[in-house]
Amino acid sequence: MAYASRFLKLGWSKTNPMPTYDPHDSYHHHDPLAHPPAPDAAPPGYYEIMETAIRELLVEKKLIGPGEIRRQIEVLDSRTPALGVKVVARAWFDAAFRSRLLANGRVACEEFGISFYDDTELIVLENTEKVHNLIVCTLCSCYPRPVLGLPPDWYKAKPYRARAIKEPRAVLAEFGTIIPDDVEIRVSDSTSVVRYLVLPRRPEGTEAFTEEQLAALVTRDAMIGVVPVILETGSPL
Amino acid sequence: MSTSNPVLVPSLHIVKAFGDQPSLKAGDPVRVAVRYPVAHYRVPRYVRGKRGVVEAVLKRALVNNEEEGFGRNAGALGYYYRVAIPLTELWPGYSGSPTDGLRIEIFETWLEQD
Amino acid sequence: MTQTEQFVNQLPNDIGGLPADRVVQTDNVLEPWEKRCHALADVLDFHKILSTEEKRRGVESLGSDLVAKLTYYERWIVAFANILFQKQVLYPDELAKKMKEVAARYSVNPTP
Repeated sequence: MAYASRFLKLGWSKTNPMPTYDPHDSYHHHDPLAHPPAPDAAPPGYYEIMETAIRELLVEKKLIGPGEIRRQIEVLDSRTPALGVKVVARAWFDAAFRSRLLANGRVACEEFGISFYDDTELIVLENTEKVHNLIVCTLCSCYPRPVLGLPPDWYKAKPYRARAIKEPRAVLAEFGTIIPDDVEIRVSDSTSVVRYLVLPRRPEGTEAFTEEQLAALVTRDAMIGVVPVILETGSPL
Repeated sequence: MSTSNPVLVPSLHIVKAFGDQPSLKAGDPVRVAVRYPVAHYRVPRYVRGKRGVVEAVLKRALVNNEEEGFGRNAGALGYYYRVAIPLTELWPGYSGSPTDGLRIEIFETWLEQD
Repeated sequence: MTQTEQFVNQLPNDIGGLPADRVVQTDNVLEPWEKRCHALADVLDFHKILSTEEKRRGVESLGSDLVAKLTYYERWIVAFANILFQKQVLYPDELAKKMKEVAARYSVNPTP
């Protein structure tokens, strides 16, 4: 619930429902890939040393190029829920796009301008008044990263993965979401090359909203399916 | 005397090699196999032996993901099926709605029909 | 089932349906090295040196003890090392020497 008001207050990150992420943080100003390290840098731990050593050996052996990791970090940084909310808003706004999105999620997103840097497929699951979808990966942490970025810790942890496919209503209730008994819950467990994105229901009272105003309502958790998209009364919109 | 060269005459239709077509289609009832691989699998234990219905066939034939785990990346392609399994089938005494269900992709080698 | 069969044919990550606690809604910001680790996984996948499925299988192969004790990206980087050794892309002693060299830049003893 706090997401909607929280990101309405944050300027550029209006469509970024992860207010802790700031692309202008010190990570970009002090390149951790450069040697020698900044004198005040915290000493690296064992696993960071392992990561650095593996990366440097692979570059020395010319198995990967020297700039590839940095470039892929830029790709990863460019993938946040801000992309997904635009897809949802477009689907709410444009019925033809919604049809294409539901027919083939990846192709529709690529046409929309969101490239997929891997070979996953995307199936978009539409919530209706009769069906509520949520997504999980019980075996690992499959997640629609090209359109949502990296998953939250809780999505990767045992409670959600163990219980979402067994007691989804109880799990949803822990997010404050109560689904009536006459609404069917569908839990999609990703086990192969398909990734899922939930297309939440458009809240009532938004008929006059612009696409940008619609996007500002959508949160990452709504696209996982654990919360609905709500229109908070008294919002600045 | 035949004047047509069979190599140059285009096929009017493509005949797929035997096995290229998916053997299951949407609506088919299926059962997830029961077996216990050592060391690696991508079919969780909670669905094994459970009955459901094929909801969709993934259009692209793909490598068996369990073999991919050991490095296979081409050849011997097969089909994944998105299978719908009611939660009442998975969990005795399930207390939610009887229409609640799981959707899960399963490779063809793990699906059986009665 | 024998007493040890379950440790062999049940993967530590196969937890669907097991008893578990309430969901704790923690969110995360990746450490820079974790982000580099994630990028490394993608780059190795692009080069077809190490696929996503191989990575998953490699993490499983760490066994339930390490899976429980290591964090998410710690599991990844150790799995990468193991897989790259198996493929003879890297060798354990070579990695050890490089880790020692990297640690020396920070005046750190590479063994914890």
